[in-house]
Amino acid sequence: MTEAPAAAALATAPPARPPGMWRQGWQRFRRNRTGMLGLTLVCIVVLVALSCAWIAPYEPNDQSAMMRFGSREGPTWAHLFGTDRMGYDVLTRVLYGAPTALAVGIGAMLVASVIGILIGGISGYLGGMADELLMRFTEFFLVIPVFIVILAVVRLFGIVVVGSPLESIPYLNLMTIILLLGLFGWPSIARMTRAEFLRLKEMEFVEAARCIGATRRDIILRHILPNALPSLVVIVALGIGGAILAEAMISFLGFGDPKAISWGQLLFFNYEALKVAPWASIAPGSAIFMTVLGFNLLADGLSDAFNPRLKQ
Amino acid sequence: MTEPGAARPLLDVRDLRVHFFTGAGIVRAVDGVDFAVQPQETLGLVGESGSGKTVTSLTLLRLSPRPARVVGGRIDFEGEDILTKSEKAMTGVRGKRMAMVFQNPAYSLNPIYSIGDQLGEIVRWHEKVGRREGDARVTELLRLVGITDPGARLRQFPHELSGGMKQRVCIARALLCNPALVLADEPTTNLDVTIQAQILDLLLELKDRFRTSMVLVTHDMGVVARMADRITVMYAGRICETADARTIFRSPQHPYTRALLESMPRVDHSYARDDARRLPVIAGRPPNLIEPPTGCRFHPRCPEAGEECRRIMPEPKAIGPGHTVSCLKRGSSGVAA
Amino acid sequence: MTADVVPAGERDLIRVEHLRKLYPVRRRGVFRSRQTGEIRAVDDISFTIRRGETLGLVGESGCGKTTTARAMLHLIEPTSGSAFFGDVDVLEVFAEGRREDTLKIRRRMQYVFQDPYLSLNPRWTIAQTLLEPFRVHRHVPEADWHRRLVELLHLVGLEEYHAWRYPHEFSGGQRQRVGIARALAVEPEFVICDEPVSSLDVSVRAQILNLLVELQAKLRLTYLYISHDLSSVRFVSNRVAVMYLGKIVEMAAVDELFSHPMHHYSYALLTAIPVPDPDVPAGRSVLVGEVPSAMRIPQGCRFHPRCPAATEVCRTVEPPLAPAGGDRLLACHHPR
Repeated sequence: MTEAPAAAALATAPPARPPGMWRQGWQRFRRNRTGMLGLTLVCIVVLVALSCAWIAPYEPNDQSAMMRFGSREGPTWAHLFGTDRMGYDVLTRVLYGAPTALAVGIGAMLVASVIGILIGGISGYLGGMADELLMRFTEFFLVIPVFIVILAVVRLFGIVVVGSPLESIPYLNLMTIILLLGLFGWPSIARMTRAEFLRLKEMEFVEAARCIGATRRDIILRHILPNALPSLVVIVALGIGGAILAEAMISFLGFGDPKAISWGQLLFFNYEALKVAPWASIAPGSAIFMTVLGFNLLADGLSDAFNPRLKQ
Repeated sequence: MTEPGAARPLLDVRDLRVHFFTGAGIVRAVDGVDFAVQPQETLGLVGESGSGKTVTSLTLLRLSPRPARVVGGRIDFEGEDILTKSEKAMTGVRGKRMAMVFQNPAYSLNPIYSIGDQLGEIVRWHEKVGRREGDARVTELLRLVGITDPGARLRQFPHELSGGMKQRVCIARALLCNPALVLADEPTTNLDVTIQAQILDLLLELKDRFRTSMVLVTHDMGVVARMADRITVMYAGRICETADARTIFRSPQHPYTRALLESMPRVDHSYARDDARRLPVIAGRPPNLIEPPTGCRFHPRCPEAGEECRRIMPEPKAIGPGHTVSCLKRGSSGVAA
Repeated sequence: MTADVVPAGERDLIRVEHLRKLYPVRRRGVFRSRQTGEIRAVDDISFTIRRGETLGLVGESGCGKTTTARAMLHLIEPTSGSAFFGDVDVLEVFAEGRREDTLKIRRRMQYVFQDPYLSLNPRWTIAQTLLEPFRVHRHVPEADWHRRLVELLHLVGLEEYHAWRYPHEFSGGQRQRVGIARALAVEPEFVICDEPVSSLDVSVRAQILNLLVELQAKLRLTYLYISHDLSSVRFVSNRVAVMYLGKIVEMAAVDELFSHPMHHYSYALLTAIPVPDPDVPAGRSVLVGEVPSAMRIPQGCRFHPRCPAATEVCRTVEPPLAPAGGDRLLACHHPR
């Protein structure tokens, strides 16, 4: 029972932060084992990404092992995960891959969320002709062979940019990939947003707000969107994993940013030496696996927490 | 505890307890319920949402949903305890000896099979007959439930039928194997009143024709008045009062039964048109079954409750022929809880 | 129909005239959709609601009673017709859509919704929900918000501490009280109650019905009370209109209608309602068949295929809603 010491507070304004739904969701989430495992994995990746500069045993571009003929060396105390064929310390490179992976996942999903929520929201709220057009547009994006387009654009852009002032921007190539993944990743978010908007705009509390005379902006931003967020969080978490995987594939094919350290790129550099130095491929491979698994389990757990089937 | 020689009831439920084990705690949905159904009798099981009436009826078929567990009591049906039967033996009871009509006909028919297929399967499975005989039986029953041109309906799918028609099909399905007992859980709640009247007429007619017993689960006092021979009133997982229909309506004894009847506006009653008109109300709200009130479950809302009602859980007490009440103020004894 | 069947009078607060709501039925092709028919949900109805009274609007599902109410508050756009509130045609004002004008109307007419589990924003505290009208209309100075909020809660039988709770902490009856308080927050004159008790438990219904009657007296409210539950209609209403397939078929003072229904449909509806008394012959069916689809409304009187008294004229001529003695309006060629 929450009692009311806030009686004085109310005189000024209504309480602004409603924790109800999220807190309930968290309590359900905490009981979900796989969800918590996912959250743990994601937390590990985030911690590594934030602290890699301090915990990594070597500089990321340190190839000095090469000088000591120490390339392709199996795990030792000096190099816990071994060294790869170019004399890099595998552990260091894998740790430094984490910020790249997160930047790709979160960056791409930020772009995708903005576009997806805008298009899905407009489509779902307005309905009719606007809905029809926007959904056809979304479907058009769904049938594009995304991967080929991204590879082509990255390569073409890489050529165009040579010699132009753009070349001096750091990680330009990586940002292009993030942007492209975002630009092609929004349709699922748009569809989910539309479905949620369609469902919620018919709800009686939204009609009640219209009856009161609330503006369209209020209805969308204060009534519909907050209630749609739980479903969107789930699909975004899933999308982050997907984007990380996509970037790994792009880099594995050699289309990644040569200056950014990414797990896919590590695989690309080392897969030819798979037989002599398997550790150099296994470590980044596992990192990808754990991270994507983490986000997928997290999404699963969130979905169970926010949309409980058996509501008692 | 049936005495030898006395007419044995078709269904005898003793001290049934069904609890839901949820994360938030144990929900005592059904907490010590006794009732019996005689052959060819209609028993009305009346209560509000959360009274445990639906859980009780599902448990009779051992169909209570997942977090629910039967934690005590016995259910004797045709002389055998339903609760100790194997799952395999239950398939010989469900649909054959005891059948169910659900509240929402739209959900209780499988949308991807035709009416003929899903009803025919039941006959073929239980009666071990061929397709032709099965279809003949289904056609016969569809005709009995008032469906015109039943032969053609066999090939129709549920979505091609209206709500009232679907419920007729569900009733036909329940009667296919001539069951001894039909459980009807709010069979007309989702229907319009004129359709409800048709379905009630139909149920009464078929009950006579098939000589079945029926347990009618509903919250609608009007429907039980029309249908039931005897009525059992439930509140918060316990039984308040059981009596024949006329007694329940003419001289209800339990304060809850009385209050429930008084608080209902009546279509056959003229109300004064002044601003001071009031319906008698039951104060408060239905209890939380995770922490039900101690003693009598109804005492926090009861106008007659005394100090002892808070402590002592009343046991059913016979106060007239076939009339039992669980209320300390009506002479029930009880155990301190 | 040209002449108004409804005489306008001083005592009338609301006058609905020739209200129609049609839904086109389209078959979708590859490139464009083709209209293949229409659903006449509300088919040219007119009625008045007197100041301070409760008009009950009854009928079975799909008869158009909720559509009528929603159209009056522009929750859906009516196809044609007008709804006068005093001298103002509110439907015209909504159609023009000037914000100051629509807000003025929204302050005078409000809506209480059917399902208290859906009608409150689950993410908002009760205080947030109840203060929204103040935020929108600014009819109460901000310094008085707290005082008014507490007044509102007390008005509907809730306590001050309830303001910080979320809807999921409340029972259905309490939520419906909040829904009523929200409608009253703008101090309206006219409230549409759309099945306000039908999703509540039996033991709580009486509380809410009493509250509605009490508030009407206290605040001089006028109600349009919509329900399929004729028992509650009998308790709250002064006059009752019976709808069938998008039309009003009979309208009269409540006791007149319930004790002497003249339309065969009103009669069938009333006898179909079971009564909590085993000795009263009620809950019986006098009708054959089911309500036809609103896409295929029968010619002539729309009730004739199910009517026990139908004759040739019923099959061809649609009876107008005309005065039938006293305060009654009736649309039937062969009244009972």
